[in-house]
Amino acid sequence: MEEKKKAAYRLGVITFVILAVLTVAEYYASVSLAASAVIMFIIAFLKAGVIVQNFMHISRLWREEGH
Amino acid sequence: MSAVTTHHDAHGHEVPYEVQLRSNRLGLWLFCFSEVFLFLALLVARFYLWGNTRPELSQVLGLLTTSILLVSSFFMNRAETAIAHGDRKTFLNGLLITALLGTLFFVGVVVMEWNVFGLELELFGVEWFGHLRPTDGVFGGVFFAMTGMHALHVLSGIVFILIVWANGRKGHFSPERHWGVEACAIYWHYVDVVWVFFYPALYLIGHVA
Amino acid sequence: MKALWYFLTSSFTRGLIGQAIFTAIGMTFVNAIRSVMGLEANAEPGVVFGALLGVFGFLLGAGVLTDWIKWIFGKETPLRHGPPQGKPEWTRYLNVDYNHKVIGIQYGYTSLLVLLVGGLFALIFRIELAQPGMTLLTNDQYNTLFSAHGIVMITAMLLGVGAMVNYLVPLMIGAADMAFPRLNAFSYWVGIPAVVLILAGMVVGGWDTGWVGYAPLTFRAPLGVQLFLLGFYVNGFSSIAGSINLIVTVATMRAKGMTLFRMPIFVWAAIAAAIIQMTATQTVGVALLMNVTERAIGLSFFNPANGGDPLLYQHLFWFYSHPVVYLFILPGLGVISELLPVFSRKPLFGYKWIALSSLGIALVGFLVWAHHMFVAGLDNSLRIPFMISTLFVAVPTGVKFFSWVGTIWEGKISLETPMLFVLGAISVFLIGGVTGPILGTIPTDMHLHDTYWVVGHFHATMFGGFIFPFFAAIYYWYPKITGRMYKESLGKLHFWLMVPGFWVMSLGQMATGIMGMRRRIADYDPALGVQNIHVLITLAAFVIGWSVLIMVYNLVSSARSQELADPNPWRSRSPEWQIPSPVPEFNYDVPFEVVGDPYDYGLSGVAYIRMAPASGD
Repeated sequence: MEEKKKAAYRLGVITFVILAVLTVAEYYASVSLAASAVIMFIIAFLKAGVIVQNFMHISRLWREEGH
Repeated sequence: MSAVTTHHDAHGHEVPYEVQLRSNRLGLWLFCFSEVFLFLALLVARFYLWGNTRPELSQVLGLLTTSILLVSSFFMNRAETAIAHGDRKTFLNGLLITALLGTLFFVGVVVMEWNVFGLELELFGVEWFGHLRPTDGVFGGVFFAMTGMHALHVLSGIVFILIVWANGRKGHFSPERHWGVEACAIYWHYVDVVWVFFYPALYLIGHVA
Repeated sequence: MKALWYFLTSSFTRGLIGQAIFTAIGMTFVNAIRSVMGLEANAEPGVVFGALLGVFGFLLGAGVLTDWIKWIFGKETPLRHGPPQGKPEWTRYLNVDYNHKVIGIQYGYTSLLVLLVGGLFALIFRIELAQPGMTLLTNDQYNTLFSAHGIVMITAMLLGVGAMVNYLVPLMIGAADMAFPRLNAFSYWVGIPAVVLILAGMVVGGWDTGWVGYAPLTFRAPLGVQLFLLGFYVNGFSSIAGSINLIVTVATMRAKGMTLFRMPIFVWAAIAAAIIQMTATQTVGVALLMNVTERAIGLSFFNPANGGDPLLYQHLFWFYSHPVVYLFILPGLGVISELLPVFSRKPLFGYKWIALSSLGIALVGFLVWAHHMFVAGLDNSLRIPFMISTLFVAVPTGVKFFSWVGTIWEGKISLETPMLFVLGAISVFLIGGVTGPILGTIPTDMHLHDTYWVVGHFHATMFGGFIFPFFAAIYYWYPKITGRMYKESLGKLHFWLMVPGFWVMSLGQMATGIMGMRRRIADYDPALGVQNIHVLITLAAFVIGWSVLIMVYNLVSSARSQELADPNPWRSRSPEWQIPSPVPEFNYDVPFEVVGDPYDYGLSGVAYIRMAPASGD
């Protein structure tokens, strides 16, 4: 139980770090590299994907049991 | 919070908790899917009317508000994980921090970017209050429409968090039954996801007109 | 006297009072802030905010928010079943009730009322159109009447879809109710203040933009246009909430053994309609809000003078408003598919094809919207793909027609009123359908756009796809809902007045259109030579109106007639006909199990469902 809790907290931290890195990358890509809208949207989709899976737990929709 | 009240009746037509939970979850996700079309319509308007240009906005403010919202999502997730594992203290504190950060985001947008009080401040070479007016042509219109619609959802999200926090303090949630918390978390992360797309669309894509 | 008291203390009345109070509060609040901020006097922002706050006030007064407010304070709220404390059963239909059957009936009678109101508007301006020259109305009154007629009829259709879907779907899948009963009640009640706003718009100056409300024309319209736009917007909440409820219900609450392809076909139609409602409604919401705010507070989206683009409004508007017409007709076409096997005593031909064609129509329906904009100034590179996709929607629609023919073919057909209306629906929808391609083809649309041909086309599709099937459904399920039988002779009278009446009206509209009659105009040049046809159309409209009144009389008076002995007068295999009439509070005593296919009529020894033994055995 304690292990699962620690693992769950850790996943939250890792997800946040991924988001932070992607945000820095997207800012840099835009301001310094003048990246195209396509690149910006790809980064946005990556950030959204990580939030939807790790924070919003979308895969619970397919899981049969209550939790 | 009785968001998973089961239907009681004389014939025992009570909907089992697990079934109602699945229904609630699907219902909330369908609502999120529905709102995609709302925010997508706003994005369409942005690209239709602005093309590859964008207004002059404070990059510092944009990055700051974005970061605040992302950190708030971290704490929201922490709070939800906490109650799922019975850690009540982390749960309640996490909710409060999320609400606080959400409020900071809201202030950052309404007081600073929108500058509703018409303030001026230059500090460390940065303009801390925005200059765009809602009536400044299509730049103003679309900017205020997008940030306004998003801010409405942020505000309702903060209210939702505070309601969950208040009921959490009364002992309402358990690791086995905390749909109210899960719903609040999904809604808050959704608000964050919308900003993940709105931030580059408003601040980063295209060149300044 | 007591009835009057129950009416005055009902959710409906309390809601209206709440709406009035909160509208006043909202207007006062905004005007106070404006004067404190030293802004120049302008009533409109106050009206907009007041209107929206008034809707909240309605919901509060009606009592539909009460349970949810209790949840905020952590209270339990057991679901109330039955009438409010100590009041008779019929008061359920005037109050907030959580039973899907009560809500379905509320949607139903509201739909009929709104239909009659919209019809009345039409009869008034039809009298004006019967002769050239302005005889009865001013231009502004005429414009307001046809604009209101459009949106009021659309509202009536949305309510009618709500009636059919809410009453039938839980019964058809073996559920005791919808997944979210309180949300269901909300979906119904939020529509009432929306209608109030639209009607109020007619008396605060009216508006002349039609139901499409194009910007920047709306910026020059009277104040009524704001109430119309806001009423339209608020109604969207009903659609979105209702459709989410429907999809979750079908996903999680089906009876044991009811795979997707063993559901009654109407449920497929309801799902396809719900998918449209759940998604497209949001984009028209954005379009309407932008329209409202550009007018009220000066944000710029559509006014070219400020760098805006009127075409953006049309794109956002029609992205919803085309799919919405499929939303209107899909449940109706589902009713046709549902009834034909019963009245032909034959299996439904091509069940899977019909089921998937509903989804197909919904999908293709999302890809055609710009055919409403063929003369708006779009580039050919955009217009031509939309022409192709528009013509393509005939394919899934055709699948239904051929399946219907296959169902009736060599069947044992009986022509009671529901079947008459189904056959009438098919004939009328066919006219509507074949008059579509000429509009979907760019070169011919350039001549027919904004003429009465279009008016003829959409009345035919709407009557054929919604009105006739809706009436068929009302007659068909009347014995199940009330436990009594409607008067068959009056039903037949209704039909035989309405069908020729409608054919005359529709063909007449199309004829005037080809002869040069524009739409949305109060008067026309007598030299066009269309006056005689206009007189015919007006007379036909009155015949239709009377026939509908005959139906209303039939429904009301038959409710007091003898109780029906047979709970299944149509000998249907569908689950709802295997339980008593009127349907008990929780529908099925014990859940049933699906053991076969739904439409094996005329075949022996093939059961559809196995009802468990009644409780107490």
